[in-house]
Amino acid sequence: ELELQPEDNRQSAETVFKDSESYKQFLAKLYAGLAISGQEGPAGDPDLEGLDEGFSQYMRLYFMMQELTTDEAVIGWNDGTIKDLHSQNWTSGNEFIRTMYSRLLYQVALTNEFLRQTTPELLDSRGVDDETRANIQDYRAEARFLRALSYYHTLDLFGNPPFVTEEDPIGAFLPEQIERPALFDYIESELLDIEDDLIAAGQNEYARADQGAAWMLLSKLYLNAPVYIGEDRNSDVITYTEKVINASYQLSDSYQKLFLADNNSNGAQNEIIFPVAFDGQKTQSYGGMTFIIHASIGGDMDPESFGVNSGWAGLRTTSALVNKFLDNNDNPIEEVADQRALFFSEGQSKEINDISSFTDGYAVTKYKNVDVDGNQGSDATGEFPDTDFPLFRLGDAYLMYAEAVVRGGGGSQSTAVGYINDLRERVGAETISGSDLTLDFILSERARELYWEAHRRTDLIRFNQFSENGIWPYKGGVPQGATTQSFRNLMPIPAADLGVNTNLTQNPGY
Amino acid sequence: TSNGTTTDFDGNYTIENVATDDILQFSFLGFASQEIPYEGQATLDVQLDEDQATLDEVVLIGYGSTSEQDATGAVEKISPEEFNQGAVVSPEQLISGKSAGVRITSSGGAPGSGSEIRIRGGSSLSGDNSPLIVVDGIPLDQRGVQGVRNQLNSINPSEIEDFVILKDAAATSIYGSRASNGVILITTKSGKKNTDLSVEVDVKASVGSITDKVDVLDAAQFRELIENQPGTDPSLLGDDNTNWQDRIYQTSVGTISNFTISKGFENFAFRVNYNNTVQTGVLRTDLYKRNAVNISLNQDLFDNSLKLSLTSKGIIDENEFADDGAIGAAVGFDPTQSVNDSSLPFGGYFEFNRTNDNGDIVPLNQATRNPLALLYLRDSQGETRRNITNLNVEYRFPFLRELKFNANAGFDYAENDGYNRRPFTSAAVTNVESPYNEDYSGINRNTLFDFYLNFKDEVNFLNTEVDLTAGHSYQEFYIQSQTRENPNDIITETFDINRNSLESYFARASFDIANKYLISASYRRDGSSRFSPDNRWSSFPSASIGWKLHEENFLKDSETLNQLKLRAGYGITGNQEIGPNYGYFGVYTPSISGAQYQFGNQFFNTLRPEDFDEDLKWEELETYNAGIDFGFFDNRLSGSVDAYYRETNDLLATVPVPAGANLSDLLVTNVGETVSRGVEVGINGDLVRSQDFNWSVNYNISFQDLEITKLSLGDDPDYFIPQGGIGGGVGNNIQLWKAGYDPSTFFVFRQVYNDQGQPIEGAYVDVNGDNEITEADRQPYKKATPDYFMGLTNTLNYKNFDLSFTFRGSFGNYVYNNAQSSNGFITAGTVTPQDYYSNLNSNVLETNFQNSQFFSDYYVQSADFVKLDNLSLGYFIPGEKIDIRPSVTVSNILTITDYEGLDPEISNGIDNNFYPRSRTFVLGVNFQFK
Repeated sequence: ELELQPEDNRQSAETVFKDSESYKQFLAKLYAGLAISGQEGPAGDPDLEGLDEGFSQYMRLYFMMQELTTDEAVIGWNDGTIKDLHSQNWTSGNEFIRTMYSRLLYQVALTNEFLRQTTPELLDSRGVDDETRANIQDYRAEARFLRALSYYHTLDLFGNPPFVTEEDPIGAFLPEQIERPALFDYIESELLDIEDDLIAAGQNEYARADQGAAWMLLSKLYLNAPVYIGEDRNSDVITYTEKVINASYQLSDSYQKLFLADNNSNGAQNEIIFPVAFDGQKTQSYGGMTFIIHASIGGDMDPESFGVNSGWAGLRTTSALVNKFLDNNDNPIEEVADQRALFFSEGQSKEINDISSFTDGYAVTKYKNVDVDGNQGSDATGEFPDTDFPLFRLGDAYLMYAEAVVRGGGGSQSTAVGYINDLRERVGAETISGSDLTLDFILSERARELYWEAHRRTDLIRFNQFSENGIWPYKGGVPQGATTQSFRNLMPIPAADLGVNTNLTQNPGY
Repeated sequence: TSNGTTTDFDGNYTIENVATDDILQFSFLGFASQEIPYEGQATLDVQLDEDQATLDEVVLIGYGSTSEQDATGAVEKISPEEFNQGAVVSPEQLISGKSAGVRITSSGGAPGSGSEIRIRGGSSLSGDNSPLIVVDGIPLDQRGVQGVRNQLNSINPSEIEDFVILKDAAATSIYGSRASNGVILITTKSGKKNTDLSVEVDVKASVGSITDKVDVLDAAQFRELIENQPGTDPSLLGDDNTNWQDRIYQTSVGTISNFTISKGFENFAFRVNYNNTVQTGVLRTDLYKRNAVNISLNQDLFDNSLKLSLTSKGIIDENEFADDGAIGAAVGFDPTQSVNDSSLPFGGYFEFNRTNDNGDIVPLNQATRNPLALLYLRDSQGETRRNITNLNVEYRFPFLRELKFNANAGFDYAENDGYNRRPFTSAAVTNVESPYNEDYSGINRNTLFDFYLNFKDEVNFLNTEVDLTAGHSYQEFYIQSQTRENPNDIITETFDINRNSLESYFARASFDIANKYLISASYRRDGSSRFSPDNRWSSFPSASIGWKLHEENFLKDSETLNQLKLRAGYGITGNQEIGPNYGYFGVYTPSISGAQYQFGNQFFNTLRPEDFDEDLKWEELETYNAGIDFGFFDNRLSGSVDAYYRETNDLLATVPVPAGANLSDLLVTNVGETVSRGVEVGINGDLVRSQDFNWSVNYNISFQDLEITKLSLGDDPDYFIPQGGIGGGVGNNIQLWKAGYDPSTFFVFRQVYNDQGQPIEGAYVDVNGDNEITEADRQPYKKATPDYFMGLTNTLNYKNFDLSFTFRGSFGNYVYNNAQSSNGFITAGTVTPQDYYSNLNSNVLETNFQNSQFFSDYYVQSADFVKLDNLSLGYFIPGEKIDIRPSVTVSNILTITDYEGLDPEISNGIDNNFYPRSRTFVLGVNFQFK
């Protein structure tokens, strides 16, 4: 007998989809692809094998790409080429950049496979009942949203990646490379195409994507269109941020609540448009929130007050972010009224002498695994947090609207100022007037409002402050900071993939 | 004209048409031929003498046998008199250093641990590079069995009759898809017909201890370093002086006992052996125990036409596993701290701790754990019960005695269970309220059925001996395993079943023409369940020739040269040991708890489609081999020289898959090529042969070279795949695969040194001249595998004394000293995530490195070595009723090397928390009752 099939809980496609529940479980994998790294939380049976499982998790890598490369974060560890991210001298051999790229395209491949397995023809042949079929239509729209999201991240980070859809097979073939403008068009057309198929904003189950998520993604795509396609699409930003703002989302009454263990139920969920959901017992990973919270605790910080059992003593921020909260640089950070200034300074120096030393640079206390009453999350060991990552939230929509107004996309300046002041009033910061609403202000305000939410690199590039302009400590590998070359606005196509896929051309400069 | 016949099994024969003065030639495999002129007798009884030429021994070659004289492939037989002596627990250690081209590297000093066996170096990248091992006719599962430290421990070393090592494709390709890495045939002892009752008792007792420790700072040095380092807090230090390595290691003790009974009747013979082995580790709490029974029964029936042989091995293998994390912890633990502190809630042990908000004393999670607590606050035991049984039936057809039918029905069944527990007081348990509990169990089942027909006859008119074999084999492997883990009150269960099967047809034809010219060809066709129907079947042919020059007239009468044979062979073999069983079609894997995702208020298990390659197929190895066998002076000097060239095509490698094309980042697929070549020389010399004193020497040397010639679908010459993860940071790899290099090549920055020869921290050669030190300046440099290695065994007998000793040497191999690189810089000890300090490797005093320099070639160190592996002295006391042989053996006596680490012999070339090999003293006594 040489025709052997799996006998344990693995199944072939043929048998697994006899159970109509399988479609929702497959959909759960597409979402879980953002939160966990394999089939045995927190580790075991990983999706990707090229790097340690904890490190290969989607949000951990995305956080590293978007934050460590900027003024908002440094990390003190010796893992591989991790320090090259902050000093902006990474090469195409950087394993974290490589794994981000692999993870993004893995996510695309997963969604493609979902779409291949749910075609009307296949559902017909499997005799799927009507109710399931109706649900699968929703799932397919969400799968396409998730693919658009990962392609958006790929567009933003790598520009010109290999391009695969459900029309391609699975194997060892060489995907074609797509140019950045063409990928932009594809993402746009996909999002517009599924807009009406997605469940109405705020109406889907928690943590599943709805129309609001698609509008947010469209807004981000259009806001950055000058970078991606060299075209101004600010009026489209106005259109889609307005759709978000006019939907049922509401600002949380407290800024800190957005980043707590119960941010799926303490009211913050009304502001969060699309979360990456974690759970201390059921959705465990060494990446994601586990990484962000543990790695930002060290020195004299008490892990218990963050609802976790230990600090990994890695992540801190530079004085460039801290100074954005200070009127003049001599004020101690503790005296700042703005409640968004969530830093730990006791025993920490504001300036960094040695990136490896945790006490160099203020620690960031934004994310915690405790609820509004200070109780630790559901994992009794304090290892894995419940805190969800707010990938899209209403506050960002306000700031994008305001930016599009300033950039001439239409809308109303007074509305924009109102939105900004809504955010500032919430945290006890002084309100602004129309004359304060400049691009410089918006870039700084985005840092104050959205730091460590994985926006910074994209923002800096859009404002042309990431590489050839803009200075912050240890940029370019020197303590005082130095500019770098503009080709670093795009990450390199990893050498590993260039060596395999002869259809690919490296991004300029690498 | 010639005229011939063969005898029946009792040796009776008739021959007709014989005239007086005709010459009758009597011959039998393994015996010297006799020529007797016929003088008219009615009956002529002849007794043949065993051929003294050792080169003419019968050797198994897989589905049959031949004589060493007639072998056309690179085949080597190793018999007990050549084995390494001592308290050998693992069979492969018996032949370490004995055979050219065979490198056996024990994985470390743990009791009962296994070895990496490489015949001709291995030619695959991600496929298994271990040889196929066939025990009494049953090919073992190349993946091993679960729960044991070494699956070969199921074979009692003292019950091994011989090893036959098949090295080249001419010899191995009859094993087809599993033969690329060579084949080792192990035959266990059986009873002999018509022998008296024999009772043998053999007892060995051993003590062992480590020979060296990792060189770390002592308490005074460490205190001084911390006190002088700015920014540190010396109040975190303790006031003790603890040598942690002294505390975790102990003197190991062991015993190996064998009781054997055998007897042979006219048609029946049996042999029964009981073995008990107990061995403690040099690492405290490590223990290996074996209780095994070997039974061999042989029965002849129907006038010797039918021979039944049953071999059965029953083994209970018990282990207590020490937490070998203690090895690294002992190197890194602050030497100023005490072992015990009963005021802390950690089971009586000191641990780095803090008082949390609730006033509880909790461990610092990121700190090094107390090595003694790791050892003693863990209970990890496992037991494997295994039975390997083979029934062999050989039937010689009465009407055509040249034809025989041979069938094997075999199974190898093992079940294991074990557990791994820590009390809640252990600081290694993250939950302070509940203990850690893991239970596991599993089954390995390997079933075999094969049969073949063999026809062997002299074709007189062609003056040719013909030996034809054809057969069929089916083998199935079934592995089941389950674990149940209860770490944080969340029970995680896994349950896996893996089954794969292999069906084969094989044939071989050998011709010995005029006792001078040998021609042999074999063919195997294998089908594997691991590949799609389109790729499932493949053919593995071979052809070889031999020329027995010493049988030619111009050499036949040479006084000095009594043996000279030239051999040449070509063949194709395969490798199907690729890992996944269902790698050619997509399967879906559900997630288990901890990997669910939330929709609304509900959590869903996820379903993941797995990566696959529809086109997955065998890796194929083409081998060319040429060899000379020679014997001088009545074989007092004999040996072989072999040279080979091999190319692996459709190399199975785990390689980055084009992003987006599949459902993972790495995929097992057929990509690339390797080329390997080598020369092997083996020489045996009887330096002294006399009544009272004999001295024989066995020397072998092997030159090997392996190179990746192609690695990807593309043709980028700079393409490489990082390999060889090291300790000291995640994602740090120190080796690479790259076309043009050995697969164990290191990948490093070139260190710059000052005038005093000190490495300058952070200063590396800017290879590409861009005035920046980046990844692009890392270069391939040296490799872990040797350029050449050798073995030298001396065996001396003087009257009743016997003495043997074995040297082994390896040259051109390098080791990455990860022990130095991960603990040999100041901040490794002082910049820690929590309030504790770590001890440092003493190398820091030489380099004064402040920060990690993991990728410096400073740490790639020459690891050439010569080892005196063992020395054994015995004395034989013959008696009326009983023979007694006491003996004493010392193992791992001496290592000559420049390597600075613990041991230069590290199989993957990365020296990191190596379990030290111990030096062992063994007293043995053997009683043979008559």
